Order: sequence, then C-alpha cells, then structure tokens
Amino acid sequence: MAAAEARVLMQVRLQIERSDPASGETRLQLFELELRREATLLDCLEQIKDELDGTLAFRRSCREGICGSCAVRIDGRTALACRTPMAELVAGGRIPVIAPIGNLAVVRDLVVEMEPMWQKMRAVEPFLRPTSEPPGDGRETVVPPARLEAVRKEALCINCGACVSECDAMAVSPEFLGPHALAKAWRLVGDPREEENAPRLKGLSGEHGIWECTRCYLCNERCPKGVDPRDAIAKLGAEAFAAGVTRDRGARHASWFVTSARTTGWLRESELVVKTLGIAVSVTKIPLALRLFRRGKAPLPLPRHKARELEPARELRRIVAGQDRRGARGIVQGERVLARIELVRAPEQSLPEAEDF
Amino acid sequence: MRRIAYYKGCLAGLSARELDSSTRALAPKLGLELVELENVTCCGAGDIQTADPDYALHLNARILSEAERAGLDTILTVCNVCTLNLRQAARQLADDELRSRVNENLERSGARTYSGGVEVTHLLWLIARGEGLARLKEIAVKKLDGLRVAPFYGCQLLRPSKLMGFEDPDQPSSLEAVIEACGAEPVDYPAKTLCCGFPILLAREKTSLAELARPLEQALEAGAEAMVTSCPLCHLSLDAWQKSLERTRRKKLGLPIFHLSQMIALAAGLEPAQLELSRHVVSMGPLLARLESPLGGER
Amino acid sequence: MYGLEDVESSHDVLVIGAGCAGMRAAIEAHDAGAEVALVSKLHPTRSHSGAARGGINAALGNAGADSPDEHAADTVKGSDYLGDQDAIELFCAEAPGDIYQLERWGALFDRDAEGRLAQRPFGAAGTPRTIHAADVTGHVLLQLLYEQLLARGIRVYEEYFAWRLVLDDGGCQGVLAWDLARGGVRALAAKAVILATGGSGRVYKGSSNAHACTADGMAMALRAGLPLEDLEFVQFHPTTLFPSGLLVTEAVRGEGGYLLNSGGERFMRHYAPEAMELASRDVVSRAEQTEIDEGRSLGGSLLLDMRHFGREKMLERFHGTRDLALTYARIDPLERPIPVRPGAHYHMGGVATDIDGRTEIENVFAAGEVACVSLHGANRLGGNSLMETIVFGRRAGRAAAEQALGKSGSPELKPSERSDGEREIATLLERREGERPKAIRDQLGASMHENFGVFREEAKMRRQLELLDDLRERYQQVLVEDKGEVWNSDLTQALELGFQLDLAVCMVSAGLERRESRGAHSRPGDYPERDDQNFLKHSLVRWADDWVDLSWKPVRITKWQPRRRAY
Repeated sequence: MAAAEARVLMQVRLQIERSDPASGETRLQLFELELRREATLLDCLEQIKDELDGTLAFRRSCREGICGSCAVRIDGRTALACRTPMAELVAGGRIPVIAPIGNLAVVRDLVVEMEPMWQKMRAVEPFLRPTSEPPGDGRETVVPPARLEAVRKEALCINCGACVSECDAMAVSPEFLGPHALAKAWRLVGDPREEENAPRLKGLSGEHGIWECTRCYLCNERCPKGVDPRDAIAKLGAEAFAAGVTRDRGARHASWFVTSARTTGWLRESELVVKTLGIAVSVTKIPLALRLFRRGKAPLPLPRHKARELEPARELRRIVAGQDRRGARGIVQGERVLARIELVRAPEQSLPEAEDF
Repeated sequence: MRRIAYYKGCLAGLSARELDSSTRALAPKLGLELVELENVTCCGAGDIQTADPDYALHLNARILSEAERAGLDTILTVCNVCTLNLRQAARQLADDELRSRVNENLERSGARTYSGGVEVTHLLWLIARGEGLARLKEIAVKKLDGLRVAPFYGCQLLRPSKLMGFEDPDQPSSLEAVIEACGAEPVDYPAKTLCCGFPILLAREKTSLAELARPLEQALEAGAEAMVTSCPLCHLSLDAWQKSLERTRRKKLGLPIFHLSQMIALAAGLEPAQLELSRHVVSMGPLLARLESPLGGER
Repeated sequence: MYGLEDVESSHDVLVIGAGCAGMRAAIEAHDAGAEVALVSKLHPTRSHSGAARGGINAALGNAGADSPDEHAADTVKGSDYLGDQDAIELFCAEAPGDIYQLERWGALFDRDAEGRLAQRPFGAAGTPRTIHAADVTGHVLLQLLYEQLLARGIRVYEEYFAWRLVLDDGGCQGVLAWDLARGGVRALAAKAVILATGGSGRVYKGSSNAHACTADGMAMALRAGLPLEDLEFVQFHPTTLFPSGLLVTEAVRGEGGYLLNSGGERFMRHYAPEAMELASRDVVSRAEQTEIDEGRSLGGSLLLDMRHFGREKMLERFHGTRDLALTYARIDPLERPIPVRPGAHYHMGGVATDIDGRTEIENVFAAGEVACVSLHGANRLGGNSLMETIVFGRRAGRAAAEQALGKSGSPELKPSERSDGEREIATLLERREGERPKAIRDQLGASMHENFGVFREEAKMRRQLELLDDLRERYQQVLVEDKGEVWNSDLTQALELGFQLDLAVCMVSAGLERRESRGAHSRPGDYPERDDQNFLKHSLVRWADDWVDLSWKPVRITKWQPRRRAY
C-alpha cells in the first residue's frame, strides 16, 4: 500500500449555535473547512477551534465515546460528537446545525450547565448499601452471574446527558428526576447485594419520580451506549410492584390493566378513572365524564365488555406468579435477545491511507 | 383479497369503537379480509409491562399464537401501543429458551403455543408505501379537497426504532404520504413526533396536559383544519381531553381529530355515518360541512 | 501573607485529579478523618481512567493457583528488573484486599460460574489474574468510585484547571487553579496535596490517550523543583487502532486474538515463540515496529484478527471493541481483521515517590500514572495500572490525611506566588500577536514519534532536544485567541501545551543518558543490550532554571536477581 498517496479530503459546511454568556444572545455561525474522510464531528470542532475560531467552546476528552463529555444536538437530535462521522452528516450537500443539548441551561456555545443533572443523580443516592454482612473469609460476596444481568445495561451509562437532553416529560416538567437519575437508581435497586428495595422505591415514587415518565422512548432512542433508560424505569416500576410499593396513582393505573386482563381480558375502561384517582378526586372529573358520556365515549361498567376464552388469561396469571420471574426479572429475561437486534453491518471500506506521524 | 389477522386492542373495542367500525368499513376497499382475533386480551398497554412484565409477555405470546392458529402470518394493528408491545414480545420470543418456557405455560393454561414468525404491522405501514400506497391512491376517489391535515405520529409507532424500524423516527413521512394520497394537504409542525402525554394522563395530569398542548397549539398555528393520528390512545388525549386543555391553557382550540381509518374511509367515499364521526368530542360537523359544500369551501 | 479570605477555601487534603487514583485517595483521606476536596479540570467521570478496558490484576486465585509472590515475580520480570521490588511485593500483597473492598462497595465485576470474581489471562501473566467487567473495567471502576465519593459528600472543584503548586519554606501551601466556568484565578489552600493527574500520552501524536492527558501534574511537580523518575520509559501499546490511536484492549489478545503481518503470518512466533501474542507489551510493540520498519506492514499497520471468536463471544465480551472498530475504522471485526499499530499509551515514569506516595516535599504526594514508585520499572504489565490507582491512591490518601491531621495551624499562601500566577495568565490573555498552538502541538507530537518512539538512538534524541528548544521558544509567543472569561478552554489548552513541552525535554534528556536497552526504552542501533552493570538504576530529572539536572538512584532489589527476559 503506497504510503505516499494524498489523503482523501472532503469539503464540509456546518452551522454552530454560538452564544454570548454576558448578553445571552445566540446566533448561528457558518463554518466551511476541509476534513479527512474518516473525520468525526468532534474532529471537525477541534479543527475549527485550532484553525478558524479559537473562541468556540465545547467539552471533550476521550474522543472514543466513553467519557461522555461531547454530547451535542445535531439538527435537533442529540448525539456524541466523537461518535458521529462527518461524512454521513454532510452527505448530499447537507449543512447540519450543531447546537447545545436540551433541558439544561447554556453556559456558552456548546457547553451547558450540568449541575442540575448531577443534582438529580445525587438525589437518588446512587451508591450501594449492601444488605448482608461482609463474607467471613474476607473474600468477595458470592453472586451468581445471572443475578447481575439485571443491571448489565445500566452499568454502561457514561453520564453523557443525551437522554436528559431529549426527555419529553422533563421538557414540560423540569423537576422530573429523568432517565439518567432513574437509570442510575435502577443500577442500585437491581443490584443483588442490596436486597431491601422498598425504601429506595418509595423515594423514587414521588411526584417527579418513576410514575412521571411519559414513555416517549426518546431516551432509549438516543442513548449512545444502549442503556435503555426507559426500560430501567419500567424495571423500577416492576420492582415497586414486587415490593408492594404501589400507592402512587401511576401504580394503581397500571394495576387496573392487570386486573382487567385477568377478569374480562379487555381493559375495563369505565372504572379506570376511579381506580386510578380514587373516588374523591374522580368526583372532580364528573364534567369531563359527562362530556364523554354524551358521545358514548364513557362506557358503562355493565354489561362487561369481555373477551372470548378468558380462562387461559386467568390461569396464566396464576402460573407465572409462581415462577420466580416476578418484578424486573420479567423484563430482564428478554434483554439479551433484544440487545442483539442491532447488528450494524459496516460498509465495505478499504483501509484508509497510511499516515505518517 | 388478502386475509390478515386483525387485533383491534382495547379502546377500539369500546370507547374508540369508531376506529373499529371505520377500519372494518374500509378494509374491503383496501383488499383486506380482516380475521378478528377473539381469544385474546389487552396487549398490556405498557402498563402490564410494568406491573407484571412476565404476565404481559405471556399475554402477547397468546395473541401471536392466535394468529398462528388461524394460519395467518401477519397481525394488523390500529394502535401505536399495541404495535410496539406485540413487536417487542415477538422479538423476545425469538429466544429459544424463553419461548420454550412461555409455551409450556401457555399450554398449561389451555392456550395455544407460539412457534414464531408472525409479523406485526400497523395499518399505516401497510398503506404508506409500495402496493399499499398505490391501492390507496386508487380508492381515494373523493379527494379531501385540499383539507389541511396535521399528522400526529406520537411516540410508540416510531420508537424505539430498533423495534419499529419502518421509517426514520425523527423525519417520518408515512402519514404525510397518506394524507396526500387522500387529496388533503399535510401541515408540518415540530411536535408531530413528540409525546401526547396519554400514558400519564391520569397519574400526572399537569405534565400530561403540558405535553398535549404542543401538537394541538402548533398544528393550529401552522394552519391545520384537522389532525390525524394512528393511535386511539393519542386520539383520546387529543380529542376527548381537548376541552380540559382549553380550560387549563385558556386558549380556544377546536381542532377535530381523525382516526387514520376514518380519514382514509372518507376519502374513499364512505358515508360519515358509517365512520361514527359523531362519537368524537370535538365536533367533526363543521369540517364535514366544508367537505360536502358544492362550492368546495372557503380556506 | 494573604489570609484565608483571599483564598477560595482551605482544606486538610487537596487531591488534584479525579480519576481512579485521585478519587481513591480522596475516599481514603476522608475515611481517615481528614477534610478533603478534589480539584479536577474535568467532571470526575470524564477522567481517562474510564477508558481502561482490559482489567485489574490481583492474585485472588479464583482461576487457578496463584499467589502475590507469583504476581510480583511476573511484575518484576515485566519491568525488566527496573521495578523496585519492595514496592512490587507490597502492591501484590495488598491488591487482593483492595479488590474485595471494591467489590464490597458494589463494583460490577464479571463472575465465574461459581459466582466468584472471574479472572482472565493477560499479557505476561503466568496465571489468569485479571479481574474485569466485560471490556469496560476502567469505566465501571470510575463510576463506582464516583458513587463512593457521593456517598461521603466529598467536595469537588469541578472544571477547575490546577496549573501551579504554591510553595514556600514550609512546603506546599496549595494550588492555583483557573476556574473554567466563571473565569478567574482561584487559590486553594491545603495542608497536604496529592497529585493524581494521570499521564502524558498527548506528548505523542499517535496516542491512545484522551485529549486531557497532557502531563499537568508532572509539569507542575517539575516546576516546583521535584524530581521525576524514569521519564524515558513510555509504554507503546501494541494495539492502538489505526489511524485514530484508540485503544484496542489487550484482552483481545488475552482471549485468543492473532496478530498478522502483511503476509498473513502470526509474526510473534519469531519474537516470542512461547507467549506469542501474549508477550509483554514492549516485546510486542518492538516486534510490530520491526515488521513495520522491514516492510511487512499494511501501510504502517499490522492486523488484529478476531474473526475466529464467533458472534457469541464477540457480543458477550467484546461489544465495546467491536463498536470501536465499526465506528472509527468502519470495519466489522467479525468479518475482517482490524488495523493496529503501536501508540503511546502509558508513562511508567513520573513524580518520584515512596510506597506511601510521598515526594521530596514533605506535604506533597502523588499516586497513579503521574507517579513513579517504581511499580512498573521499564515496562508495565496490563492490568497493573488500574490496580496501581487503587493501592497507591489509597496509601497516598491515608499518608496525606495522617500528615495533615498531625499539623496544626492553617496553610498560608505567599502573595507573590499568586500574583505571579495571575501575571502568567494575563500575559497569555493579553497577547495580541503570536502563533496558534496547533502547529507547535502537531510538531511536538510528530517529532516525538520520529525521534523518541519505539526505537531510539543518540543522533535522533539529540536532534529532538534541538527541536524541542525551538518549539519552546515558539511557545513563548503562543497566541490564545479567546479572550473571554467564561469557559475559556483556549487558555487552558495553551497551558497544557506548555506542560507537555517541558516534560518532553526531560523525557528525551533522560533517554539520551540511559545508554542501554531495557523494557520500553529500546536502542537497537547504538545500545541494543540491557546493561545491568551500569544501568540497573532509576533516572531522576530535576528542572532548575530551564536546565535539566540528571541524577540516578539505585533499584531496590529484594528477591529477584535480574535475569535474561524472554517470553
């Protein structure tokens, strides 16, 4: 392979959202430069700072997607700059817009104030409190590898904030604990060395905890490490049920679906409001209910809308209840096979030209 | 006629009955013979997936097995959430060990076992491309007169894309293609792929309504005369809770919301009565009048 | 004297650097009863410890009979007999206890079928003793230590760029730091300071290291008059991805990966017939460099073949590695071998310390990659570096705490020091004309590869010293374009360049004087043999008034006499 050939370069244009910390003013700045074909967005930002505009502010360190510093929004989508190949971004003459991540205040250019995110993480007390005494022989606590499956994905979290940036519930409810803190919380609740989960789960079932997640799946979609925070939140919910921490409206709502399935098969819609909110609060919903009723949208509880062949649905509940897949285990059992879906095929590429240092 | 298993889900069977009736009325025109799955239950709605996830997996396995029993390899859904739950279960059941255990339980309970290979597709996916879209264009004889319709995708038909994967979750275009094929004009606005808030409507109303406000307000501002959605849960929030939202936000809205099947059925010339449009809380009346008007209606 | 009101705050112990070593030190200092704070230019979990992939070594004996003694023997041999054996023995003896402590805190290590900590084979280890968490061990430990930091409510001065130790006759009084978030020089006072700032890989252009690894603590120590030990020993990791320099973990070789040359041959059989790909890193890097120099490479790279691993093993144990290859080399290792070459990875040398992290200045300590105990001698074994951060982080933390607690009164900062620091910053910020750092940085990195890479020789090293002189002169006019206060990384990056230039001079100076080949310092052209007679000793470099002052100190030998080192 000839080392002396010129390296393949490409011309790129991109726009970066700049901001002035003093005035708070923002503007879009266009940059045009020549990059190596394998360059990532981070390489591009570095080159801009080195050669075009030294005032560009952004965080970065590892450039290999492990430190979590460089999350940015690219045409509205949050991603790690160091894991985004420029070639794909600018394909077809596209001019991407790079902006700071969402749901966190901007400090300057692409740098955001991360403290609220760290604060929420601290709020869930993300450190292990082992339940059992240390082993008498001074060695490790014996833990069957299967028991650690439950937190395998959450352990991959690099605190990059992509999930926080995208979280739809947080966008309208800034105090929502959010996918990052909750995924961290699951890492503890799911750890077999901490066996008494009820206290943690109670703490996580507050106004802005587990049950405020709106299930938009944006966090799962964006996480660069495959943590799937939404699934971690579902696991927390499942363990809350297993631990009997189910007073929250969100838990009662979910409970009613289970009761419906095993009694009539279909959701018993007419009773959902009362079962979720309780009688007292439901009274305040009467005007809404009347409005729905007039349209035929508030079905009467009787006659029951039943599915056919209900017995298996009831039996199944009894059967699975006794099979040691309670709580989060019901979710964890399917994780490995789901993780294998994404087998990205790399494009056919020849080796890049040699680089002399 | 293509025979296809039809899983309508909970709401289409009850409070969103109009979704079921319009889908049934439409099906023959799309060349579909709907074989309704009856020995089934709720898909879990994401709620049983939290409250008792192992149970949810089994319920979905059962739904899949019923399609298999009917000799059909595809389930047609009309709800975002059902689609996600069934597809997720189908993927998980690709694991031999897990499927084997689930099947043992199904058998014990008196249900049928599932061997794998049933595809789950939403009505939208069927008609947004290729043959389906061509067919749709053929049957859309009564064009919707350039009606400005805002597409609302919601969340769970797009994400997580590794389970859904029909189109780019951030720049989808299936609803727009369908709207255009129906002779209407799609209206673009940012919140079309964000959450309507339905899953927490009862548990966290304030947050939920704050989410709901975005598609409705943005669509209206962009000039929409109607909205169409592929999910009856989103529809419930968008339609039935619209007045509550008006009160909370102190803003008049009044945007009528189509179920996907209804919009297509109208464009295909079916009578509004067949589509039970009167069941909507936000009246379709003025909109229908506009479409019926011999003068083509004012913009 | 400035009183305490002129300083940001005052602490018993101040730890500079919040990677694994820094955090472990802070945790220990806290548990020993001292009031401790960390200063870090990055949020702690951004530290480069998180990039360590292979694992962490300890003689637990879970995967076969093992003992601290064997671990020590492997380490001594791996060090090419330059490691201080008392430190090595202590390290190997304490390592198991430290692992159990980490596990107790909740470390998510992989388990074997019996539920015990799994141990895998790694380079130059006689018995499998590398404990790991898939292929992200450093990441898992970094997150764990951060959790333990939070559990104790230990304060972190986050995104504070420490760049200058403040000294007087009483020792070190604290540190000056540039507050990145708000701008401005902050003075942080402490009774004891621990340097845990990591390595210096960015001195080389092709390095596995993060952007942040710019020898900050080493340079601060040098400028404070402390001696730095064995600076000539830089570990070139044999499998850094081409062209990015990203690390492909040794675990790939540990679990059966092959190294191939352009002829498709497993060339290691010519260099280390028994250990093959699992020979020590310096041996493998030299083998590769030879293959490259003799024309049997593919455009300057060798090939790392994992195709025979199969899907299961790849996804199970090497998902991180596969991800890396797909993203940065655009190759799927399930289908094709990936291009690798030697890259600067770890600095064996550093601030000279004893086994408690003590330096020559009574209240300045150092631990982790920034320090040289010497644990690794002339070459480090994979898996020993993470363990080093824990063992010596702990020891330095305790020693610093005990010392601080034994001191009465409060630290005082000399006003001239502080204003010196402010002037230094002001000079940089006010300069209107000059040279941007990039060209200087690139030439530093490229020339170090050329003249002080895997293979060294006298003429090249002398040339390099001249080049460095020239670069340092140009650095006097380095231009910081960003004049702002808030988040001015242009400024901090310019300071980092200064650190690297100073360190590079000392590295090459030491290399020139070591007239032998040992471990990672290889001079096949002029001094191809190891010379125990004359060079079984550590180099010590001191920096005084822009002069490099070189001296030596003996290696501490307890049990193992130097032998010929072959794998």
